Amino acid sequence: MTSTEDAKAICECQLLGLEREGMEATSNPNVVGVGIGRKTVRGVATKDVALKVYVKQKIHPLLVRDEQVIPDEIEGVPTDVEEAGEFSIWRPIPPIYQRKVRPAMGGISIGHYAITAGTLACLVRDAGETFILSNNHVLANENRGAEGDPILQPGRFDGGKTDRDVIGRLDTFVAVDPAGTNLVDGALAKPFDERDVTPDIIGIGRLRGTKEAVLDEKVMKSGRTTRKTEGTVMDVSATLRVGYQTGSYVFTDQMIIKGERGAFSAGGDSGSTIVAYDGNAVGLLFAGSPFFTIANKMSHVEKALDVQIV
Amino acid sequence: MGGLALGGFIAWRRHERPVASAAEVKRRHESRLMKMRGVVGVGIGQKDGKEIIRIYVEKESPRILADLPQALDSVPVEIVVAGTFKAL
Repeated sequence: MTSTEDAKAICECQLLGLEREGMEATSNPNVVGVGIGRKTVRGVATKDVALKVYVKQKIHPLLVRDEQVIPDEIEGVPTDVEEAGEFSIWRPIPPIYQRKVRPAMGGISIGHYAITAGTLACLVRDAGETFILSNNHVLANENRGAEGDPILQPGRFDGGKTDRDVIGRLDTFVAVDPAGTNLVDGALAKPFDERDVTPDIIGIGRLRGTKEAVLDEKVMKSGRTTRKTEGTVMDVSATLRVGYQTGSYVFTDQMIIKGERGAFSAGGDSGSTIVAYDGNAVGLLFAGSPFFTIANKMSHVEKALDVQIV
Repeated sequence: MGGLALGGFIAWRRHERPVASAAEVKRRHESRLMKMRGVVGVGIGQKDGKEIIRIYVEKESPRILADLPQALDSVPVEIVVAGTFKAL
């Protein structure tokens, strides 16, 4: 055993209370760990190896009780006291995107009570009334929902329950047509209380309005699963076949987006508003493949549901 | 002089086949293309400043690629492997 390791063993016994032959174990309530590392002087690591003593809080030696002062060296090995705080296991706290939030905003988890979870796009207005916008397959369970069905925030997959997390009721949806072609996978929910919703989108802010995206335009979205991501529009007039739980449907005049770094979206991001860098909404995300994301054009969504973005 | 210039223009038009817009060509062919094995989408992209037809395919398989055209009514075609599109 080297002298450094020997000194460490002494420290473990005298500061952390570990058993050691021929030595009385004592512990120092401020010490959370002992190790071997570089000595740091005024925040800069030096070449010298030291016995590291990690403490909850670094206190001036004059204020520390005599028996708790950490000696400058142990067995000839210099010590270095470093403030580490209290160590704890990383408890997974769900991100805001998947939690219950009131007022609820764009980018957050939402869904019909029978589905897993999707994303709240934004708020829309029709004749002074405010609605929550998302996809048909998020709010209306692929045509299977009925007007008045409870809408949960967060969605069921994120712990949403029908007895305490119902934010509103299913109002209208554009039915997806298995035989013909489709333009929009969209639906509206009516919040019980308008104070439970806000027009902001997490990490993006308020929308300025709606516009048409152009090829190569940079866009972003905020969604339940992959949160805020950036991408580029690579097609604005695509005809595509999209697989759903209930079958496969053809969509025309869609936009295709390629992620800037990695995927632009994943399962659960359906319903995200696609936003251009000037703050205008350009699309409503609803599908994707491992390589690309597909969105309805927001102009089609507004027309099909007869609403305006707030 | 004006008549001559106009005549020259007409002669030039006769040799060059009129090129339909990518949107028009896409509309003409997309229902046929969408029925082809492995094709998941048809769209319009840009290459060297010119509009091209994009055919999105499920995977890079010689059996799928062999059946696809390289151009449609003189508009170049770009094949893009896109995987299968699913509702998210």
